[in-house]
Amino acid sequence: MKPVIRRTRASSPVVMILVLGFVGISLLHLLLTIATSQSVYELADLKREKRELDTSSQILAEQVLSLSSNQNLYSTASRLGMVVNTNPVFLRLNDQAILGEPRPAAGTTIQSTNLVANSVMIVESTQLNQETVPASSSEPTQIPSESQTSSSIIPLSPTR
Amino acid sequence: MSQSGTAGVSRRLRLLLTVSTILIVVFLIRLIDFQIVRAEAISELSYENRAVSRTVEAIRGDILDSNGNVLATSVYRYDINAAPANVKPVERVIDGVSQLISVESIALDLAALLQEDVAVLMTKLTGTTNYVNLKKRVDADTHRRIMDLEIPWIFSDAHQNRLYPNGAVAGNLIGFVDVDGQALAGIERQYNSCLAGVDGKESFETGVDGVRIPSTAMVTQEVQHGRDVVLTIDSGLQYQAQQVLAGEVERLSADWAAAVVIEVKTGRIVLAAEAPSVDPNDPGKSAEQERGARVFQFAYEPGSTMKAITAATAIDTGYATVNTQVTAPSSLKVFDHVINDSYVHAPERWTLTGVLRFSSNVGTIKIAESIPAETRHAYMEAFGFGTPTAVGFEGETRGVLNPYQEWDGVTNFTTMFGQALSVSPVQMTSAYQTLANEGVRISPSLVAGCQDDRGNLDPIATSTPTQVVSAATANDVMHMLEKVVEQGGIGKATAVRGYRSAGKTGTAEIKEGSGYGDYYAASFFGMAPVDNPQYAMGVVIYKPKRVWTNSMAAAAGYQKILSNVLLANRVQPSSGTSMDLPNKW
Repeated sequence: MKPVIRRTRASSPVVMILVLGFVGISLLHLLLTIATSQSVYELADLKREKRELDTSSQILAEQVLSLSSNQNLYSTASRLGMVVNTNPVFLRLNDQAILGEPRPAAGTTIQSTNLVANSVMIVESTQLNQETVPASSSEPTQIPSESQTSSSIIPLSPTR
Repeated sequence: MSQSGTAGVSRRLRLLLTVSTILIVVFLIRLIDFQIVRAEAISELSYENRAVSRTVEAIRGDILDSNGNVLATSVYRYDINAAPANVKPVERVIDGVSQLISVESIALDLAALLQEDVAVLMTKLTGTTNYVNLKKRVDADTHRRIMDLEIPWIFSDAHQNRLYPNGAVAGNLIGFVDVDGQALAGIERQYNSCLAGVDGKESFETGVDGVRIPSTAMVTQEVQHGRDVVLTIDSGLQYQAQQVLAGEVERLSADWAAAVVIEVKTGRIVLAAEAPSVDPNDPGKSAEQERGARVFQFAYEPGSTMKAITAATAIDTGYATVNTQVTAPSSLKVFDHVINDSYVHAPERWTLTGVLRFSSNVGTIKIAESIPAETRHAYMEAFGFGTPTAVGFEGETRGVLNPYQEWDGVTNFTTMFGQALSVSPVQMTSAYQTLANEGVRISPSLVAGCQDDRGNLDPIATSTPTQVVSAATANDVMHMLEKVVEQGGIGKATAVRGYRSAGKTGTAEIKEGSGYGDYYAASFFGMAPVDNPQYAMGVVIYKPKRVWTNSMAAAAGYQKILSNVLLANRVQPSSGTSMDLPNKW
């Protein structure tokens, strides 16, 4: 009888450990699954947010490009009454010689009419005010990489 | 418990066991069916339902000017669609109160955003179909505003689109793409292999709510976005030149005008402008002949601007010097043909400098008549005539420079002053670059290279510079051309205060049928500053019909553009005076 009793005593902790281990792993797996599921939705939300921000970035970048177009700069300079100085004068550093004849920039105001077509030109920002322009918005814009799924609210065309 | 009661329990127990056993067997059979027999098919069906595979669109690269300014970029545009079958009022909560917004009211909002007629929209929204397009290619801002309306029966498709923020600035060079993004013209087409990327492919699995299942994403092909093309032009100067040219076309009632500026030391094209020029955002608005680049694609008889090349040939071959003396009447009979100067004059005792200064056809013939045609032809080829430039622009003309063996007696003479051959504005500017660069020709370049997103530039190979004429010859010609600007009636109008410049007028007749028509191609080509040449330049005004019809028509535009170029690049004003070269003897 003694050997039987010894075998039972020896296997009980092992079984307990195995059962507890199994239960523990199952619980851990369950927790991880819950956490992962939660993260998946967070990730989806973040991706949606990124798409929105990318779109904002594109809108802003387009406005910056248009506002800094030659046509806009030219028109703005004209509105400000700027004139072209056709009288360049240079100071040569090595001998302090003055090259050219200093005269006031008395040129006529630059031509105000734009003669170079630009069908996408905008003349003022329509999008954002200071509150909505973060400090980092000056960074280069990337086109939304997932713009095929254009929005979370408007579904994609069923024809695609 | 009685015996009969015990037996009843036992019977019910057996019945329960039997039913349970049958159920277990049924479930087991079903389980084996699902898990083993049809396991693969079911798994495949399940995967198909949750697996998504899609193309990751490569983004087309930008086109930049020499200062990194964006001339072409890629943005997303959206087609706004609706499902008329589902059109109905939309419920909205406004100030905590649920309200039903009518279709008419929604259509009014849409019409304002899409800038469409509300009646037209209402017609489109009526029907039983699941798809109708309301407007194509709206911008992201408009798309977002429509999206914010949260209309369940409105949906959209995103498309990559090309945006040219500077409109027609360098539109002649950049070219354009069609609605499907296919490059149709210009740099867009020529450098499509640099600009276009390679689409990627990826697959992943989603849950029933469409959310991606983590760790299922698999990229089967990595997306490669397009690279940027960097041009040599300065878009600011290009714009100013186009402004000037557009003004001149209007003032002179000309067909078109073109200007080219090349950096003397590098051959880089600083601007290649023309008016009218296509706005690549909307090429359909331009006439077909205005959608290309005349500076590269159009060949015209250059006329007297070719005399500088003839003079260089004469000096370089030893047939003349700046002081070679000729007596030139105002007309000369060669074979059965009479060649005239542009005005009637008594026989003049001109030096070669005077021949150029007064742009005498007869004097040019007298200077160059002894040079073998073969030699002159070889020099013309060396100056780049008869061959497209190294730019290799799409559809670039080689001009017409027939083999000298095909020149008849008259043609042999007329080629000396720019008739019976044709050149593009870029070719002629390149020839003047050679004269300004001590006789070394650097074939023009328009594209600096192809640049990746890290800013690494893969430069475009440039051609080897060639010594066309000696430095002394080139300088002699340049100094003679300085007299044209300093003393010539038209040349003076091209002078820029503070700078010594040189150049040559051209009033070229235009072929019409077998003869010449009533209008001219007025041009002026030159270089500046003479004491340290930095830029070679040319302006062509094609068929000016009022104010000026001769090369005077090109002078004002030339002066303004040259002034802009010199000032914008902070070129040091000239010092010293021109060489003492007599016109007469």
